[in-house]
Amino acid sequence: MELLDNLMLGLSTAFQLKNLMFCLIGALIGTAIGVLPGIGPIPTIALLLPFTFGLEPASAMIMLAGIFYGAQYGGSTTAILVNVPGETSSVVTCIDGHEMAKRGRAGAALATAAISSFFAGTVATLVIALLALPLSALALKFTAVEYFSLLVLGLIAAVVMAHGSVMKSLAMVLLGLLIGLIGIDVNSGVARMTFGITELSDGIDFVPVAMGLFGLGEIIANLERKDERRVVSQSIRDLIPTWADLKQAFPAMLRGTAVGSILGVLPGGGAALPPFTAYALEKKLAKDPSRFGKGAIEGVAGPEAANNAGAQTSFIPLLTLGVPSNALMALMIGALMMQGIQPGPQVMTEQPVLVWGLIASMWAGNLMLLVINLPLVGVWVSMLKIPYRLLFPAIVLFCCIGTYGISNSLFNVWLMLGCAVIGYFFIKIGVEPAPLLLGLVLGPQLEENFRRALLLADGDFTVFVRHPISAGLLAVVVILLLAMLSPAVLRKRKQALTE
Amino acid sequence: MPKRIDWPDLLLGLFLLLVATLTLVATRKLGIGTAANMGPGYMPRVIAIAVMLFGAFFTGRGLLRSHLGIARVQLRSLIAIPLAVALFSLLVEFAGLAIASLVTIIVAAYATHEFRAREAVIFGVAIAALSVLLFVQVLSLPLPIWPDVFG
Repeated sequence: MELLDNLMLGLSTAFQLKNLMFCLIGALIGTAIGVLPGIGPIPTIALLLPFTFGLEPASAMIMLAGIFYGAQYGGSTTAILVNVPGETSSVVTCIDGHEMAKRGRAGAALATAAISSFFAGTVATLVIALLALPLSALALKFTAVEYFSLLVLGLIAAVVMAHGSVMKSLAMVLLGLLIGLIGIDVNSGVARMTFGITELSDGIDFVPVAMGLFGLGEIIANLERKDERRVVSQSIRDLIPTWADLKQAFPAMLRGTAVGSILGVLPGGGAALPPFTAYALEKKLAKDPSRFGKGAIEGVAGPEAANNAGAQTSFIPLLTLGVPSNALMALMIGALMMQGIQPGPQVMTEQPVLVWGLIASMWAGNLMLLVINLPLVGVWVSMLKIPYRLLFPAIVLFCCIGTYGISNSLFNVWLMLGCAVIGYFFIKIGVEPAPLLLGLVLGPQLEENFRRALLLADGDFTVFVRHPISAGLLAVVVILLLAMLSPAVLRKRKQALTE
Repeated sequence: MPKRIDWPDLLLGLFLLLVATLTLVATRKLGIGTAANMGPGYMPRVIAIAVMLFGAFFTGRGLLRSHLGIARVQLRSLIAIPLAVALFSLLVEFAGLAIASLVTIIVAAYATHEFRAREAVIFGVAIAALSVLLFVQVLSLPLPIWPDVFG
């Protein structure tokens, strides 16, 4: 039993006292920055990278990974209680999680999020252990053609998820793609749409855009509405969800874990795609989709499970192929290279202690997070006693500092300022900005794969339907679009919106 | 009473048209290339044209449909929050994080009608101290704490 041997090796590494300690440090830092709205795992990991130089490779990776998935736990707490997503992955949790909190069910929402995350984390760890080798073989078969179709599918799924009209969401996706093109063109080295601003040559960072559109824009609009209760401040009576809650949430948890595990593996999926897709799936499968956006527990369980599962399985391409599936994994590659390890398929065989120790530590870390988070929920709840008039200026400040911290540049702060005004404008005209963000994050990869696919096919556009996997993915896109534009579904959506 | 023009649609349409036009102007000098060998200008132009079509669609629909109109814009928060961010950006590198944080908190706090001056100052000092401790001391963000004149 090779798998058993591997897991035993991993467990013996992960459960060394020293590594358990680094795992705990990572998980604690991760939870803290996940809860803080202004600072995400990317700047934190970037800031901590130099300090991992003196550690053993396994310890360093265990701690950095802990920050990453710890932030997924912490981010959902803020999303539910304050309605500010710390990162893209918790944007979706805001929708129903915060709505549940508004209805006095913050305890149930938080517990559902934590349990879903733990469940997904445990399953995803097993998935990594079981499928790392065969999946790397499958992912090797993916060419630019399949990646492109996969990315298109991801974007369309985001449109289905959005609140508003399909047309508006499609326009937002395109807008996001357009913004994503800003910067130096990888193929030709020519600056595009940078308007002579040097900071734009690396492209637009999605963190300031997200903070501006979702965080600050929302605050400006919130302050106009006097009557509305902005922050949930009811006491949280039942932290332990009822049996009925669990029964309702469990299938969503399972589906979310599956969605997250699959999408996390595929490069391009990253942290944004799994929760968006899981939410869309739950909404589609629900008997009564109108409950979504109004505190549906499945809308918390599914995406939360998906983002944690995806966060963990996104390590598979990194460990098996040396390919980062998102910006964070790129940082992880940086950490590996700092340790003198060349990332690639050979890491699996040459560094078994590192790979399997990291995998086993994820399970240990998830267990720690469950223990840390559920009792500590009381602490976060007590933070809610702070009135909104004090809370929002602090959020504004943390957004400023956090945005600055991404690349230590004031340019990002000004960018966030611009996005805040645009975000306010979008709220005023009733446009949901979530698809824009996804277009922005996936845009560069979409273009890259589109161009490479057509280059290899000598400009023949039929290549996307001649490859069977790609054709299948695109068929799903067409079906989704037709379904959303069909009169029956449109009527249903209208009904759901007016209710 | 419903207005004759659907302002949300019209504004979105005009916004999209503006963005698409800006893109086309900014990328006018970039090579398009062919489908087999795309130049840097290929994708921006394709997407900008798609955005333009959407813009035209929303502009048209906005002019034809009626709508209840947009909730009144209140300038207080719309000015105070962006101003707070702008002041942070202008102050932080030369006046230091402590002063920039305090100013940002107070100006941002002014965005609400529930603004209380004394409370905002006390809270601002506390949060500024916390920010300095957390971001500069613990996370070692490369920012000055005080203006240069204090050494």
